Amino acid sequence: MKITRRNFTQIGLGTMAGIAAPAVWSGAHAQSQPIRIGASASLTGPLSGTKNLVIGYELWRDDINAAGGLLGRKVELVIYDDQSVPANIPGIYSKLVDVDKVDFLFSPYGANLTAPVMPFAKSRDRFIIGILTLAANDTIKHDKFFQAAPWGPNGAENWARGFFDLANGNGIKKMAILAADTEFSKTAAAGGRRVSEQFGMQVVDYQIYPPTNRDFSAILRNVRASAAEAVFVCSYPADSTGIVRGIQEIGIGDQVRLFGGGMVGTQYASLLENLGPALNGITSFHLYVPEPTLKFTGIDDFLSRYAPIAKQRQVDPLGFYIPPFTYAAGQLISTAVKATGTIDQAKVSQWLHANAVETIVGKMSFNELGDWTQRRVLMCQFRNIQGNDIDQFRQAGKQVIVDPPAYKSGDLMSLAQSRKA
Amino acid sequence: MMRMPLFIAVAALVAVGGLFLPLVVPNPFYFYAGYVVLQYMVIATGWNILGGYAGYTNFGASAFFGAGAYMAAFLLKAFGAPMLVQLIGAGCIGVILGVATGYLTLRIQGIYFAIATVALVVVLETLVHNTDYLGGAAGLQVLAPAPPAWFGGQPQYVFFIMLVLTVSAVVVARWIEVSWIGRSLRAIRASEPAAECSGVPTLRLKLLACAISGGIMSMAGAPYATYSSYVDPVSAFSLTVGLNALAMPLIGGTRSWPGPVLGALLLASVQQVATVTISSEFNILAVGVVLIAFVALAPEGLLGLRAFRRRVS
Repeated sequence: MKITRRNFTQIGLGTMAGIAAPAVWSGAHAQSQPIRIGASASLTGPLSGTKNLVIGYELWRDDINAAGGLLGRKVELVIYDDQSVPANIPGIYSKLVDVDKVDFLFSPYGANLTAPVMPFAKSRDRFIIGILTLAANDTIKHDKFFQAAPWGPNGAENWARGFFDLANGNGIKKMAILAADTEFSKTAAAGGRRVSEQFGMQVVDYQIYPPTNRDFSAILRNVRASAAEAVFVCSYPADSTGIVRGIQEIGIGDQVRLFGGGMVGTQYASLLENLGPALNGITSFHLYVPEPTLKFTGIDDFLSRYAPIAKQRQVDPLGFYIPPFTYAAGQLISTAVKATGTIDQAKVSQWLHANAVETIVGKMSFNELGDWTQRRVLMCQFRNIQGNDIDQFRQAGKQVIVDPPAYKSGDLMSLAQSRKA
Repeated sequence: MMRMPLFIAVAALVAVGGLFLPLVVPNPFYFYAGYVVLQYMVIATGWNILGGYAGYTNFGASAFFGAGAYMAAFLLKAFGAPMLVQLIGAGCIGVILGVATGYLTLRIQGIYFAIATVALVVVLETLVHNTDYLGGAAGLQVLAPAPPAWFGGQPQYVFFIMLVLTVSAVVVARWIEVSWIGRSLRAIRASEPAAECSGVPTLRLKLLACAISGGIMSMAGAPYATYSSYVDPVSAFSLTVGLNALAMPLIGGTRSWPGPVLGALLLASVQQVATVTISSEFNILAVGVVLIAFVALAPEGLLGLRAFRRRVS
């Protein structure tokens, strides 16, 4: 066949169009593809009590998509169940990054599950938001890590420091420390001892108990005998229950004015419902409570939408502890992406390091390790708890914020006084 | 049956083939998933030497796996030891634990032996919980050195290490199976008093089986620290490891070396797929249902089914 000049031109143009078409199509296609956010959640296993965190992600995704998406693209969540097992984490996050091609990552819940993902995130240079992980980035020092929870700088030691500030402010001179024999509790207890000594307080009793201990009568009698004015407790949910029940049964003495601090479990509705009035007077940490001093934009709306979903899924009906922070984690991404106009991980990270973000749990700004620049862990005292109705905890005045001063909604009452009241 | 030197040559070829896998499979995820499958092949093969050949059911596989993982993490943290040293260290601790446990427990049999092996898991886990240097309950974050450039990444490297361990474990298991040791262990399994009367040194052989089995299972734990960059007592001494170590040989067949390999391939692959597709509660459910089905319908495992069909036809 003879090729004329016209044929040659047509063939040339056709070939060029053929070569260019996939690139043009895929570019356009990429623009229409959803922005994918990947995470693992403990839907089963010992940490499955935290699976309500998924509701926070889902409500954020729905809000963003209802408002037209991010950069005109829909947001899609890819979430796998890590079974609360750290061994599953490397495989799951590799699947998210290498197969599902997600654009941003949320960490699993807590420090133990996040530890395996941090080296992965650093080696792949991925943007990741920590979900209530404590000191996750202290050794890795990944510049694209951001912490959703307000533990503040040097969180491993200082997350419960508000308790000691409170003790110092109330003129307490004798401190007792009780901690479960686990790393998390022991680190906090050791930090507590240092702070007590800095404030000139005398640590009159320092007890580390086995994590499986459930009978605290001997331990509480020791505390009583030590004549401590404040008792700093670092416990897990089952021990927290045992300790609260122990105080109710054998008492702790009228000299104790401040009790609690690091009692894990007092943030969960199931434990609040179980212990009811036995909690009166106890002061423990929290991240959000419905007090008038914590009226952030959007939090009430979030909690009102959370409640029916939680009821339907039979998870924590209050949802104060984790879900608002997973919603806020999403807000960090959406705010930074909108501000930079890109999903480029480096640009989004740089922007977050340089700018504060308004979220439903308050304003967040980050230091070089991705921790909040200021600690905002709340110390809340249980007051006027009557019966075991869980809905009473939705009202103000049941978990009064006694520290930090900027969010204070009431003054500390001594343990005995508030229990009598 | 293939002669032993030829078998070793084929096994070596498979291991060498693993060196070139990163060139063919670019996606790291398949190495992460493949690592777990291979890890269970090693554990199941190690377990089967005592549990299958000698008939001594060991519920403490996770104790050996965890001991290996923690020994490797310790060597890495304390001395920056390379992978080969970690593997040797894990193997040594496994052999020592195997001999010690065997010496203390092998005079009891059946369910009493099985219960005694569970105690080992509890003892080791408690020990780690109370050792601050190993991270206690919070676990130990391990930053392994960069892998050799050839592999392209950590998952490809640990996959290759586990592949080498798998073929080595299979070679050892097959050698035991066809040697006088295997014949003696089978005699113990059939009837220990009869074997003893026939001149089989039962205690010594059981101790040897404990040592080899423990060594292999501990070595399976050695690359775990590098794989996950983190070791914690709950994962390292997990019930899942112990359950899988038992279920995989039972599903594949305990009489010969392909049984545990087949069982691990089947069950671990299903679990890996299930983790990223459907609810993970299915994982434990799958192990339970498949185990009950095999115990009820095919007590000799998959390989036993094939032999049964051959006999029928």
